[in-house]
Amino acid sequence: MVLFLLSAGLSLIFGVMNILNFAHATFWLLAGYITVTIYNYLLGYFAPGFYLLIPAVAGATVIMIIVGLVVERFLIRRMYNRELAEQLLLTFALVLILGDVIKLIWGVENRHIFVPVTPVEAFGAFINPYYFFLIGAGLAVAIGLWVFLHRTKYGKIVRAAVYSREMVNALGIRIPLIYAGVFAAGIGIAAFAAGIFSPLLPMALGVDIDIIIQCFAVVVIGGFGSILGTFVASLLVGVVYSFSILLWPDGALAVIFLIVIAVLIWRPWGLFGTELRS
Amino acid sequence: MTGDTNVSAIPVLPQNSLARAWWRHGLSGVLAAVLAVGFLVVPLIPGQFWIYVATEILILGLFAMSFNMLHGYMGQLSFGHAAFFGLGAYATGLLMRFFRPSGGEIGYLEFFLSLLAAPPVAAMGALIVSIFCVRLTGIYFAILTLAFGELLYYIVFSWYSFTKGDDGVQGLLPPPFFQNPVNFYYFTFAVVLAAMLLMWRILESPFGYTLRTLRDNQRRAAFLGINVRLHMSVNFVIAGTFAGIAGALWGPFQRSIAPGLLGWQESGVAVFMALIGGSKFFIGPIVGSAVYTFLQAFVTIYTVYWPLTIGLVILMIVLFAPGGILGLVEGLLERIGKAGAAATEQGDSANKDGTAP
Repeated sequence: MVLFLLSAGLSLIFGVMNILNFAHATFWLLAGYITVTIYNYLLGYFAPGFYLLIPAVAGATVIMIIVGLVVERFLIRRMYNRELAEQLLLTFALVLILGDVIKLIWGVENRHIFVPVTPVEAFGAFINPYYFFLIGAGLAVAIGLWVFLHRTKYGKIVRAAVYSREMVNALGIRIPLIYAGVFAAGIGIAAFAAGIFSPLLPMALGVDIDIIIQCFAVVVIGGFGSILGTFVASLLVGVVYSFSILLWPDGALAVIFLIVIAVLIWRPWGLFGTELRS
Repeated sequence: MTGDTNVSAIPVLPQNSLARAWWRHGLSGVLAAVLAVGFLVVPLIPGQFWIYVATEILILGLFAMSFNMLHGYMGQLSFGHAAFFGLGAYATGLLMRFFRPSGGEIGYLEFFLSLLAAPPVAAMGALIVSIFCVRLTGIYFAILTLAFGELLYYIVFSWYSFTKGDDGVQGLLPPPFFQNPVNFYYFTFAVVLAAMLLMWRILESPFGYTLRTLRDNQRRAAFLGINVRLHMSVNFVIAGTFAGIAGALWGPFQRSIAPGLLGWQESGVAVFMALIGGSKFFIGPIVGSAVYTFLQAFVTIYTVYWPLTIGLVILMIVLFAPGGILGLVEGLLERIGKAGAAATEQGDSANKDGTAP
């Protein structure tokens, strides 16, 4: 599910803005640290419990949406008409910078791995219900996104922007606004994912590097910009990964990349995507 | 596509192109001479530290230049180029292990055989990958190369019995003569110089100019009767081979190799270097390598926040100097050197490129 939530934002950003965001998982990691910090701060005033996670997740999501808007406005916006290499390099630079910012803020005394995540203890026996909650939340985001993109006016505008930037612009719709919104929304979903998963996944430096590659795999298999495709692909990657671990433990990730390569050769636009920019 | 968006930045106009070409090659030539002399006298600096740094600059510079054969000349961004660097490194490293399973010095013949094994292995890898990759362009090319790179990375990472997996291969001592850093440095210098001359020859041949055509407009090139995929494939293999040569030198230089050499972050290093130096210049990537490696050596003395530093440097380069350092230098030279009527227009366009749109 975390893979889906991350990939959904990544897929949306790429599909609409045509920018491959290497830093997506790093934003996610940053949001995780923020959630943990807010939660631990609140622990000083309230009894530990599930309800404390709600303000923590909400806070982290809001903060990250603002961060996303700022980054879009001052960095990404300058990149729309640039070469592919420069766009990738910019987001790669963000990976390095944000990674070190996390290190500076949260990991000064204990630089490598594991910022303590206490919420796990708070739930005690309630860990199992939490898994159901996570699945429900993931589904809710998936359905919500799909309904937004396919059933609302703004969703239609966003999808139209995927097909023709110029045409949408000519109709008097402000493209930069759409882009800023999509970018911030993608980051917001990532932040939400980081928040709700923070009780289960320890936030560690370097996790973003591993997970972004898996997200790319999901997005490529599912097709850029397709929510349904991303959903199916994240299930596929998850299942294939689990079964590969059973059958061929060492080669699990290699198998996933074999699938990615096969999909790219066979249908470069992904299983559920449509061929757009050839 | 990317090919269309950057047409304005590339001198395809017949008029003035001679003057621009002179500047470009002239700048490259002058810089190459300065660099060559500079690299020759590095061992005069007391202490071994700078010799190591200079060796690293040369090896990674060759790696970055081989990447730039794809990016700067063919217009495709490979994000899995480190795979061939790593393949070369592993070919040499494993052979050296094979020849010297335990203790003892490796003979000179075995050492050179190990080195010579790297380019063909890398070329084979590149050939297989290229068959699939040349069918795609732009972002899909980047992602497919990334996927292949990661696939090879995970194979090396997981195949413990053959590659020693995460442990890497240690104790890759070159023969006694090359254990002296200065000797190894001059050896590296000679190899890299020879490889660069060969690369220059290839890129200035009709084949090299065909690549530039592919970069500027693939469809038009196809109409001219150029076999697009064949040319891309051949260039991909050549670039992979050069990366393999660089990789071969890496093992004996570092005395060890690890699977990380094949990963996407290592590929990213080549992209950094090419863009820091200026991917539109032949000599650009090695300038980028010098800046990157020197900076790394310098910064890590004082702080552990090296990624933050290089991240900010890249941010600045991407935002304010898209042509890289050499692009900046060229812009300056043009502004100083040519106040003529023809130059003003080009200076303007260079200006526009210099600041974000």
